[in-house]
Amino acid sequence: MMSKIASMLMELKDTSEMMIDLAYSSLLYDNTEIAEEVIALSENLEGLSEKIQDEIAQAGRTMPDEMARAVVTIRLMDSIMGIASAAESIADVVIRGLGDHPVLAMSIRDSDTTMCLAKIADDSVLADRTFGEVSLSTTSGMFVIAIRRGKDYIFGPGDTTRMMAGDILIARGPDEGVAYFKDLADGTEKSI
Amino acid sequence: MTVRELLTEMKDMSEVIIDLAYASLMYNSTSMAERVRGLEDEMDDLKFATRYKVLLSSRTREDARQLSGILEVASAADRISDAASDIVSLLRFPPEKRPFITEMLSKADEKIRMIRISADSTMTGNTIGRLQIEASTGCKIIAIKNRRGWTYDPEDEMKLRANDVIIVRGTDDGADLLVEYAAGRKDWVFEEAVPEYVVEDEAEEDLQNEEELSEEIRGEGDDE
Repeated sequence: MMSKIASMLMELKDTSEMMIDLAYSSLLYDNTEIAEEVIALSENLEGLSEKIQDEIAQAGRTMPDEMARAVVTIRLMDSIMGIASAAESIADVVIRGLGDHPVLAMSIRDSDTTMCLAKIADDSVLADRTFGEVSLSTTSGMFVIAIRRGKDYIFGPGDTTRMMAGDILIARGPDEGVAYFKDLADGTEKSI
Repeated sequence: MTVRELLTEMKDMSEVIIDLAYASLMYNSTSMAERVRGLEDEMDDLKFATRYKVLLSSRTREDARQLSGILEVASAADRISDAASDIVSLLRFPPEKRPFITEMLSKADEKIRMIRISADSTMTGNTIGRLQIEASTGCKIIAIKNRRGWTYDPEDEMKLRANDVIIVRGTDDGADLLVEYAAGRKDWVFEEAVPEYVVEDEAEEDLQNEEELSEEIRGEGDDE
């Protein structure tokens, strides 16, 4: 059984990492909609952080022996919030229209973990399949962080999210994974 | 180093340093924590080098506008490394006082796992680059322990040998698959060598596809 505080901390950590991925992608594609999502997520984290604080204050009343653990938790939470706030600063650069220097996009493309886009064709093996069914990140190394569907976005898709023809996937991963990933999406590669 | 190289280095470092920081808490490793502090120092140097270069290259108002964005991104990457360094300072508390951490890291979307390479594994004797471990399993190696000790954020040229221990970050599926390969229960599938001209053609095609899609996801409000 996972304790309430541990599961809230985990959500905090996962969200902070998703914010970093989204922030770099908003920078790469100079995309304010993705940047706005980073800001929205940071507001969610503020609420979550307050809940954790309340939970710890509550636990402190009944379990004074847990004080050291409470200190560790609060400090860890503070570090995670620091990571989230760095992501927010990157998104803020995009929202203010200061993220269009070509060097920024180039440095993201050059890095060990690169990012790319792929559009799902009608005859793609990914069309009408969920992420759980295809384990895309295991087979291609590319981890999908967001989907553009029509005018909308799906951020942080899960195992049950279904991919549809016409979707544009935004993914991060190694350079060597990009070609296969794009081929899977555009229908030229049929084996997954 | 150019600003482009400095920023690339800072982005790479900002990602690997977080994984290392969490892993050091999980495995109670002070040497990993030291590496995190070392990276944090390097990050400070990179940040100042970036500032210096960026300020030197500013000539016009338009330069200043764009370059202010670069400075902010560089400082954000540095703040990530500061947070990682704060995380490893929690090692001073005894493991039983930080039990949430292991619990938390074992349930996250992408987990950190430690895997031993068996003598029976077909991975042994090959470099990380030749194996393309991340593209084949989705798992990124963040550290390797061999006879010489720990190497953090290993280069592609590094060879895996029997009894090496690797720490990876990846999804459950990917890590389970990697365990099969590492234990020698499953043979590694090597990518066939593709002629260079094909690789170049494909890279060209992918680049064009990337540009078209980048244009397509530009929001309506982004045009002004």
